[in-house]
Amino acid sequence: MEVLETIFNVSLIAAMLRTTTPILLVALGGTFTTKAGIFNIGLEGQMLLGAFFAVLGSLWTQSAWGGVAIGVLAAMCVALTFSFFVVTLRANEVVVGLALNILAGGLTITLTKAIFGTRGSIVSGDIVGLPRLHIPVIEDLGSLGKALGSFTPLIYLAFILVFVVWVIIYRTKLGLYIRVAGEKPAAAEALGIPTGLMQHIASLLCGVLAGLAGAHLSLGYITMFAENMSSGRGFMAVAVLIFSAGDPVKVLFGCLLFGFADALSLRLQTFGLSSYLVLTVPYLVTLGALFLLTYRQRPKIFRETAESLQLIRREKA
Amino acid sequence: MSADTTPTPVRSSWRMPNWLESILGQLIALGIAIIGGAILIILVGEDPILVFTTLLRGAFGNSERIAGSLLQATPIIIAGVAACIALRGGLFNIGVEGQLYMGGFAAAFVGFQFALPTGLHMLVALAAAVVAGGLWILIPAFFRARFGTNEVVSTILSNYVAILLTSYFTIDVFKRPGGWSETDPVATTAYLPQLFEFSRLNFGLFIGLALAIGFHLFLTRTSRGYDMNTMGANMKFAEYGGIAVKRNILVILLCSGAVGGLAGGVETLGVHHRFMEGFAPGFGFDGVIAALLANGSPIGVIFTALFFGALRAGSLLMEVETNASREVITVFQAIIILCVSAQILLRRRRDSSQGERRWKF
Amino acid sequence: MAFAVEMIGVSKSFGPVAANRDVSFGVRHGEIHALVGENGAGKTTLMNILFGLMQPDSGEIRIDGKPVVMESPRTSIGLGLGMVHQHFKLVPSLTVAENMFLGMEITKAGLVDRKAQSEKARALSEEFGLRIDPDRRIHELSVGAEQRVEILKVLARGANVVILDEPTAVLTPQESRDLFRIIRRFADTGMTVIFISHHLDEVLEVSDTVTVLRDGAVVGTRPTKELDEDSLVNMMVGRQVNFDRRERKKMSGNTVLELRDVFARDDRGLPALRGIDLEVRAGEIVGIVGVDGNGQTELSEVVSGLRAPSHGEIFLDGKAVEGSDPRHMRAAGLAHVPADRLVRGVNPGADIASNILMGRQHVAPWAKKGLIRWGKVRELARELMQRFDIRAKDEHVAVKTLSGGNMQKVVVAREFSQHMPLLLIDQPTRGVDIGAMEGIHDEIIRRRDAGAAILLISVQIDEILALADRVLVMFNGGISGEVDPANTTEEEIGYLMAGGSRSKEAAA
Repeated sequence: MEVLETIFNVSLIAAMLRTTTPILLVALGGTFTTKAGIFNIGLEGQMLLGAFFAVLGSLWTQSAWGGVAIGVLAAMCVALTFSFFVVTLRANEVVVGLALNILAGGLTITLTKAIFGTRGSIVSGDIVGLPRLHIPVIEDLGSLGKALGSFTPLIYLAFILVFVVWVIIYRTKLGLYIRVAGEKPAAAEALGIPTGLMQHIASLLCGVLAGLAGAHLSLGYITMFAENMSSGRGFMAVAVLIFSAGDPVKVLFGCLLFGFADALSLRLQTFGLSSYLVLTVPYLVTLGALFLLTYRQRPKIFRETAESLQLIRREKA
Repeated sequence: MSADTTPTPVRSSWRMPNWLESILGQLIALGIAIIGGAILIILVGEDPILVFTTLLRGAFGNSERIAGSLLQATPIIIAGVAACIALRGGLFNIGVEGQLYMGGFAAAFVGFQFALPTGLHMLVALAAAVVAGGLWILIPAFFRARFGTNEVVSTILSNYVAILLTSYFTIDVFKRPGGWSETDPVATTAYLPQLFEFSRLNFGLFIGLALAIGFHLFLTRTSRGYDMNTMGANMKFAEYGGIAVKRNILVILLCSGAVGGLAGGVETLGVHHRFMEGFAPGFGFDGVIAALLANGSPIGVIFTALFFGALRAGSLLMEVETNASREVITVFQAIIILCVSAQILLRRRRDSSQGERRWKF
Repeated sequence: MAFAVEMIGVSKSFGPVAANRDVSFGVRHGEIHALVGENGAGKTTLMNILFGLMQPDSGEIRIDGKPVVMESPRTSIGLGLGMVHQHFKLVPSLTVAENMFLGMEITKAGLVDRKAQSEKARALSEEFGLRIDPDRRIHELSVGAEQRVEILKVLARGANVVILDEPTAVLTPQESRDLFRIIRRFADTGMTVIFISHHLDEVLEVSDTVTVLRDGAVVGTRPTKELDEDSLVNMMVGRQVNFDRRERKKMSGNTVLELRDVFARDDRGLPALRGIDLEVRAGEIVGIVGVDGNGQTELSEVVSGLRAPSHGEIFLDGKAVEGSDPRHMRAAGLAHVPADRLVRGVNPGADIASNILMGRQHVAPWAKKGLIRWGKVRELARELMQRFDIRAKDEHVAVKTLSGGNMQKVVVAREFSQHMPLLLIDQPTRGVDIGAMEGIHDEIIRRRDAGAAILLISVQIDEILALADRVLVMFNGGISGEVDPANTTEEEIGYLMAGGSRSKEAAA
């Protein structure tokens, strides 16, 4: 019991919210493309490039928010390239997404070496990280409040965005058009709603959020850039999107699960378990959830029961 | 529909043969990639001509370097065939990287753990690699076949697990005392024969070529190859025509994974003779890209893999002699894939929008 | 007075195929104008051009006498046009009101005001007598109700010219009659209706003026009262059509296919087949007719193995068929011409020989020891191309480059030449020209005479009446009756298609 208490305590919850943030941001971005009917395997690359340029921007502008802005812009560029190929040229989305992920990986390493002369990572005291907020009202709520009242702004933003994205998707014209473009393009075309444009916009919105996710990685808790630092979170987000069908609320719960797995794995490392094994936990949880949920959503071979038969027969008669 | 306003031009009686057209497309893509690469090189403050010539020298400068290019190409050919197998069956296996790691470790394990006669030892080790690769894709393959679970995501995620797991085996379980992050060396009885004195180029190259040619013949000449090709071209037609689609999906992905594992086995037994953490970075991914670039053709993979192998070999010299990092070639590869993805599509759009392969770009 | 809508010299081609050639016609204010022609005559393309969904290669469109360029549906909607498409363009997950106001949402503070939309939708539906609950989601509605939503959608946009593309294809005769009443009311209030159809009786019943299209060109525009069925057919087809029934042979062979109390669910999990009992004997053609969506698709899928029945048994050649897989059905003796050849029937990118091979790739003499003998396959392909009159340079031609008729002949040739005891034919001549159609009909008769048991499903009642030895009518997932094609009437079939006496409740 003591062990469990040491693992599951307030700081675990705080850590969970922290680790949930990047995957939640990028997955929320993916809700737009998912709803627009695009399978966006390129989230990983957008996030990685966002992280890299956020660091670069932070160094250039000497401001964390300047860094965030430049990171977001970079991710939007990738997103626009993605939608240009996928929507305008109608290229295969998996192929383009993979290519852009590879491009992002290569580009960040190449530029790191060119600009900083180092391989693999950018570490510098000059990188301005995001400030921690101190929200007195929450901080006053005891130990839990203390843990929850002093995050970086992007963490709060991520959770607020769940609601914002939900409103955009389900309550605004833009969201409606994006959904129609994804669900039944012919309906939109017949009314003169430009589906292509909607898909481009969805992809750009996705880029914004993926860029924020990247900025959180490199300017949030650690202020550095490391080669492939997104480490598959973009792909995990895709997994979440697959079984949530892009619904922001389901996305939130999916992401919390992975945030929890991530935080737990970090915690388990302090117990002397092999760090390599422990690091597999989030991936295994994602895979497990993906398999389990597709198993549950499997097409079922329906067999009539005596009651259902009777019901249908009566209906017919 | 509404965007398509240009009237279709009257087609002349002569049409470029398909293969010529696709090679031409590939070359145009290459041209654009060279320009894109040059811009990047200028951006990072290097002379593109110098970088490209160094790249070429590194790849083809002398017989040793040519052998080096072939050495790099070997695992890419095998991994490329692995990816092709999935692609031609209408599936994606983006997990070749992970299967390669698992196969590499399994081969090394058999190589250092057991004592067997020369030759037989190697065969057993390679068989272990094949089995490991197949096992590594088993769960994603099963769920894809049975429940339609998206195999793109599941195979990508399993890469991360494979890499971490082999690192765990290497560093926490089988680490050679005093050494780097590597296992004990493989017994010489399990080595793949080396072809030349001056290079580590080995018999694996022939394994790769044989696989590619063999797979090509399988696709074009055999009944099962016809089944598979048809699934890749039009899954609904295959189902309607009585092909055992679900079973074949499982078998195809398992074969794809098995060949991916073999790629890793060949790399450990032919080149490193032990398992090292991060022993083959990116070969699996290169294989996938090579297969995409070759449009799923196993014969095409031989060439695209040789090309990528040469790029890799050249990039090593490039990194030593210039300030450009070797990842420039990754950018280069990505641009080529992007261009090709757009191009083949343009061609297809002109022909017909029907019956496209799901993966075909 | 100027025409409400006028098209002058409109041409449009898709590659080598000319869909519309120099089409000119005018529609007067307040009239119901029927646009008739056979399948593939270019009616839908023409209306897509008028509505701005496609751009013409040449020609002019005038609305109220003023030349306009229909850049997109937005332009045409702005000019007071509205179109109800043959395939409904409704978004299944949205509500009726959301669909109606799609593209012209009522907003409040930047958000869609769903309440206001619902109210307005309700008001509109009451005004025009089109009953519908604005808060229901589209996927919960019946086909007839979906069509009402489509019409309301057009009305909500203030259309004064309504284009209806094959509106009755999915309706029961009773629903059709309701629709005609609504259309009439529109015209009486001064609206203009353009009505596409190939059902002559409907056209004669409801329209004021008729324009006939054939092979993409206008044959003529006439007032309806100057026309009768014969003259209309003449204009449509360009020659007298022989609707003579084929010679019937009563063969009483063994029962080849038997369905016993078969139930099935559709993709949404709703009952689609409700206790089907059916028997097809060797040497007879059993035809299935019904309004689209009454279970024919599911019946075809169950027999072909593409859909698992939820209850009941299927016997092929006296043996119960286990499981549901096209593989098992084919092994048990099924050959199948599917409804949608491009989706299932062919591998469009592959050549003719390779398409002909399907189903034989494991069978001698075309394959031996797991190897395909391409020489034999090509030989077979050439032979079948000749016998079935497939027009292509040689057997290496990719199937996707063939015309619809020739593509269908590839499917028919492959399936018919397997000499299976059971032949399931779904829509044998959809989108096929008349010449090819007759060829396919001849082959069907030939297979019957050779002793095959044939289950024939078609939306073309004429086709079924011409070919079948027995006709079963489907309604609401069941068989509502059997008629003898030799002495039945359209009325009798229409009555059964509407479920007989139960038509009213079921259609709603």
